[in-house]
Amino acid sequence: MLDRLVSVFTSLRLTVVLLALGLVLVFWGTLAQVNLGLYRAQNDFFRSFFIYWTPAGSGLHLPIFPGGYLVGSLLLINLFAAHFRYYQPGKKKYGIVLIHFGVMLLLVGQLLTDVLSTESSLHLRHGETKNYSEMSSHFELAVVDTTAPGTDTVVAIRARRLEASGDIRHAELPFTIRVLTYFPNSSLTKESQPGHMQIATTAGFGAGLWWRAWPHETETDKRDMPSGILEVLAPQGSLGTYLISAFLTRPQQLTHKGRTYELTLRPERIYKAFTLHLIEFRHDKYPGTEIPKNFSSRVRLQRPATGEDREVLIYMNNPLRYDGETYYQASFDTDNQGTVLQVVRNPSWLTPYFSCVLVGAGLLVQFLTHLAGFAAKRKVS
Amino acid sequence: MLRSCIKPIGLLSLLLASGCQDNGVKVYRVPKESPAAMTQAELPAGHPDISDAAAKPQLTWKVPAGWTELPPGEIRVASFKVAGNDGQQADVSVTPLPGVAGDDLSNVNRWRGQVGQPPVTEEELKAAVQAVAVAGQPAALYDQAGETMRILAAIQRRENTAWFFKMTGDTDLVDGQKPVFIEFLQSVQFGGDTAVSGPKWDVPADWTEAPAGQFLFAKFTMAGGQAAVNVSTSPGDGGGLAANVNRWRKQLGLGELTGDELAKSVATSDGVTVVEMAGEHASLVAAVVTQPGKVWFYKLMGDAPVVAAQKDAFMKFVREVKY
Repeated sequence: MLDRLVSVFTSLRLTVVLLALGLVLVFWGTLAQVNLGLYRAQNDFFRSFFIYWTPAGSGLHLPIFPGGYLVGSLLLINLFAAHFRYYQPGKKKYGIVLIHFGVMLLLVGQLLTDVLSTESSLHLRHGETKNYSEMSSHFELAVVDTTAPGTDTVVAIRARRLEASGDIRHAELPFTIRVLTYFPNSSLTKESQPGHMQIATTAGFGAGLWWRAWPHETETDKRDMPSGILEVLAPQGSLGTYLISAFLTRPQQLTHKGRTYELTLRPERIYKAFTLHLIEFRHDKYPGTEIPKNFSSRVRLQRPATGEDREVLIYMNNPLRYDGETYYQASFDTDNQGTVLQVVRNPSWLTPYFSCVLVGAGLLVQFLTHLAGFAAKRKVS
Repeated sequence: MLRSCIKPIGLLSLLLASGCQDNGVKVYRVPKESPAAMTQAELPAGHPDISDAAAKPQLTWKVPAGWTELPPGEIRVASFKVAGNDGQQADVSVTPLPGVAGDDLSNVNRWRGQVGQPPVTEEELKAAVQAVAVAGQPAALYDQAGETMRILAAIQRRENTAWFFKMTGDTDLVDGQKPVFIEFLQSVQFGGDTAVSGPKWDVPADWTEAPAGQFLFAKFTMAGGQAAVNVSTSPGDGGGLAANVNRWRKQLGLGELTGDELAKSVATSDGVTVVEMAGEHASLVAAVVTQPGKVWFYKLMGDAPVVAAQKDAFMKFVREVKY
């Protein structure tokens, strides 16, 4: 039985089948983006062990095709197992070893990137300074204690905690937050519209507005706009029910025991130990045309803890790599007065480079070994 | 062999698990976000690139009592500090920006956001605007009052430049300073090569100056708003007389005129071309005056009886304008 399992996992046939499945998966996943949107297609097809299908009208969740994680993991196991099964020590095989480890590192590196990397964006208008980037597809409920003069204390609760409903308690919060309703995607209107219900909150400025839930947004240029109703509970009783919504641009204030708190549902923020200030965004065009020549952002980087204060020019293919993050020139405001930097934290960003070096070195070693052998034979003859 | 595979897979599982361990709550202590830091260098939404802007225009003013003049900044041509009681402060800035620099609605809603007020609609904005004079020309004043912060902002568009006069500070202080700010606006004089001096005219007593908006040079209303005079200017021939006449006819629901019909509908005397038209609900008298390199359009439009009653005053106004 064990031998049979070993034989399956070390077979070249499995490699070919997995590569073919990978091919179909990439093709299908790419087409699926039309209906599901980029983010969901990535999750359903590539960041999953199986692709599931729900027959219309049923609550079934049937796995119908292997997902990216399964195909990738099996490929890795296959490569690993085959290597040790068929590997014969000897100088002639050093190249093969390097190539195999290079490919394994590539697969592991991709998995690590998928699991460990985070992507966010930093939007700056001319003259604006920020010490955080935002994850536009993830939201958080920020409960900000603004009482202290120079510093705010932010308790950020991720949206998935809100989706789970129930009570949220934290040592930094003197009250409990009870999630009464939470819509991951919603619309909010001032007047009654079809399908909308009137909001009846007891505090803040939600009362009288109308809302409704919507399915997840699948178009790539749109995003979910969540809303919810919370009740803030102090030991002595309720402090009121509040509407939280991505549509509300200003925070709702709440005072408790002489301290002032602000409630905001906002894109999840990643705070930095430094600030970036946009000095200038340039959108250069080729003379006499509307064809873009260059997009660049001149920013000032200041880190109070170390006294670091310098200017950095970020442009296409010249990102800022700083503090474990990479800041790419990603987009800009239509009036050319603001820039959008994509911020990527990827602890395993070097693995593809190491993989390529390993595979390249393996190929070279293999080639030189054969060349040397061939040359030696020729000399003898 | 299998054992050799298990170890790395176990490590991977551990990594996957550690990525998921998160109770969903994070706590940060962060410096307060400072709106003041942003207002120093802020630019209205939609304004063009000013990185290569030409030398700053000349401007003179009378510094009100209690204001301290500060050195102008990179973008500002004038800057003042106003100190009030109990450490209250306000900042006054004068900023010219090339082009129209965004519409008033987006600028006002941005300022409202800064003082913690919800955005307003176009209709609400029209109701909130206050007509003031800057250097003797009409300007629109918008007052955004928040709980702790208030922004008074006057916008005047002169030729190809939008001028922003802004007072930002503690609500109570700005409230008390509003008349002083309006007086300051009246004291402003444009001078030097880059200043734009508009034509001089005598406005009939029963006309009321109204906010001109971004496409007009001046606007006057009469008879409680039943008719209005719009004054605008364009470089060159402003698109030509025929195109403008037909545009006005369209506004009244009339068909286009061509060739002889159009020529017959206009009359020119003493350098002023006049065209009259009447639609089902309104009538219009327009006067076109060509100056070197530009053309001025004066349009009286509104309820037919009011337009008829105002026609003579309108023509007198147009003919007496000094360019």
